[in-house]
Amino acid sequence: MMDSAAYIQTDEVCRYYRRGASEVRAVDRVSLAVERGGFLAIVGASGSGKSTLLNLLAGLDTPTSGHIAVAGAPLGAMSRRELSAYRANRVGVVFQTFNLIPHLTALRNVELALCFNGTPRPERRRRAAAMLDRLGLADRADHRPADLSGGEQQRVALARALVKGPEILLADEPTGNLDRENTRQLADLLTAHNRDGLTVILVTHDLPLAERLAGRVVRMHYGRLVEGTEAG
Amino acid sequence: MTVRDLVEISAGNLWRMKLRTCLTLAGVVIAIGAFVAMVSFGAGAEKNVSEEYEKLGLFTTMQVYPPAADSLGDSVPPPPLTDSVVARLARLPGVRLAYPYDAFSVSVRLDTLELSAEAQVLPPAAVATRLYSRLVAGRRPDANGSREAMVTREFLEDHALGPADSILGRSIAVSVSSSTLDSAVVHVVRQESRRVEQFIDAFDFDSLDNVGYLRRTATGEFNAAARSFLEGYLGRPMITTDTLTIVGVIDGPQGRRLRVKPLIIPEQSARRFAAAKSGPDPAELLAAFQSGRVGNLFGGDTAAPDAYSRVTLDLEPGTGYAALSDSIRAMGYETFSYLEQFAEIQRFFLYFDLMLGVVGMIALVTASLGIVNTMVMSILERRREIGVLKSLGADDRDVWLQFLAESGVIGSVGAVLGILLGWVVTRIASFVAVRVMENQGMTAVELFDLPLWLIAVALLFGTAVSVAAGLYPAARAARVNPVEALRNE
Repeated sequence: MMDSAAYIQTDEVCRYYRRGASEVRAVDRVSLAVERGGFLAIVGASGSGKSTLLNLLAGLDTPTSGHIAVAGAPLGAMSRRELSAYRANRVGVVFQTFNLIPHLTALRNVELALCFNGTPRPERRRRAAAMLDRLGLADRADHRPADLSGGEQQRVALARALVKGPEILLADEPTGNLDRENTRQLADLLTAHNRDGLTVILVTHDLPLAERLAGRVVRMHYGRLVEGTEAG
Repeated sequence: MTVRDLVEISAGNLWRMKLRTCLTLAGVVIAIGAFVAMVSFGAGAEKNVSEEYEKLGLFTTMQVYPPAADSLGDSVPPPPLTDSVVARLARLPGVRLAYPYDAFSVSVRLDTLELSAEAQVLPPAAVATRLYSRLVAGRRPDANGSREAMVTREFLEDHALGPADSILGRSIAVSVSSSTLDSAVVHVVRQESRRVEQFIDAFDFDSLDNVGYLRRTATGEFNAAARSFLEGYLGRPMITTDTLTIVGVIDGPQGRRLRVKPLIIPEQSARRFAAAKSGPDPAELLAAFQSGRVGNLFGGDTAAPDAYSRVTLDLEPGTGYAALSDSIRAMGYETFSYLEQFAEIQRFFLYFDLMLGVVGMIALVTASLGIVNTMVMSILERRREIGVLKSLGADDRDVWLQFLAESGVIGSVGAVLGILLGWVVTRIASFVAVRVMENQGMTAVELFDLPLWLIAVALLFGTAVSVAAGLYPAARAARVNPVEALRNE
């Protein structure tokens, strides 16, 4: 059953793959709800289906069955174009491997996120620079990813995800490649933006981090939600 | 994503893969260069012909001929092209000038040099037309130039008369020899008078009653007189000479219908020569003697004014060729229009250019396979980037456009560089060709032309074929699954 009060809701969502003769149930009958401005952490071992669920929430993948709705709008009813617009305007995604475009500067990487939602060029440049400044990367704006540390790269990736002012941030193992200090910095940033009203769904296998940041932590095991905890 | 974004991102991506981009670009550049060079050769040839036609005023020139005898069938032949017909043609709407082709053999004496030549009569108005406008030296005879002549450059070269300027102002004696009744009668009188006197002295008047003697005597005397007449007619022609001043040297138009005789003389001289030539052609005379119809040749009822082999019409610009040609055909004559001939030539050049263009297009299509290869390689290398773009909100169309823009950038840059290459190649080829032509003593002409339409076509083809080549890779890029593309390796 869909919870009409939830901002993000999944209802019996399944994502199955065929791999040879066998069927892989990457996400299996997952139902969850996240309120607007909430912070949900999804924890689980590698291969438990966390990233697949995140891709489904980002509209990058389509469920085999079940429904996903964001602010009451079912993603399954959206065309490919509408899903692109959804990603371009309402969702920011951060990846474990940063996925910055290596030949673009930090500024251009951040600016790229504004290319697909109709932001005028001068506005793009200004907003991208402001976002980098806010994340403490103003002096790194003209650097290419290869010239940045892992922590800096992840902050650039976060800047890229946040620059369009999304309603939802989907972070897939954002601290997976970071040391403790950079993990702390990133965690602070996520917390700060969540306080500002950003709905955050964090996928991680770092349970302590999840419990420290998220209001709610759920665990996935072989594609299914096996338990949920209300954190601090 | 704006067009500027597309171009910037595409150019940036291509710049990153410099070597591969340059090699792909080289294929397009060479193909477009070959296309431009080949078609510009065709365009150059067409331009040369067109300019020659324009320079000589051939677009406003028409020629009129009597129909060929075998084309007449049972129909009544039209009247010969005489002066009266020329006058009628001149009165047709759109005709500025009509003048006949009138040429004959003359003897020429230039100082001590004596030679035979062909002379052509041209009225001053005809000489003033563009057909005879290519002056090498001097000027054209003016309207009052009744004693002025022109020669062709060929005439000077054939007789080693030195540079064109050196002959200007020199006098030339032009002569025609003509067999006339006068020359024949004078000869008979001179040759036969003494023998006739002796004959009268020796004549046996008592034999007048003898019919046989009379017939023999009369036959013998007539034969002797006829032999003497023929000898005088054939062997003692009258020489008519006109002394003219050479005022100009021209490059006569070339071509079967246009070739001008080496010596151009005024109408007044031609009239003097024609007046002197009152008797029939010696060959005709011999034939008449053999057939026993000598009387017909001298004032008989078949005598007709001289007919011309063709008449040239100089037309007002914009004259309707078809209507004029129809009116002349209605008079029974054939016409030849250079405009119609040029349309035929243009049709030939169209096929010629198409053929050259097809060869160039084959090269371009081959080069486009390089683009397909480059773009497909690029997709394989940039799958993750495509995934990132899609995660940021790029839709399939954005990705499709970006890859199409990259092949378009290769095509348009390749086309621009190819046009430059083609131009450089044609300049080098032209330089060599001009030197060779000059060394061969030929008039150097520009063999190539790079008109704006060719630049536009090359640019359009280069870009269009490259974009077409990018369609498949772009569609493939647009179909990239972002989840698979972003999956951690």
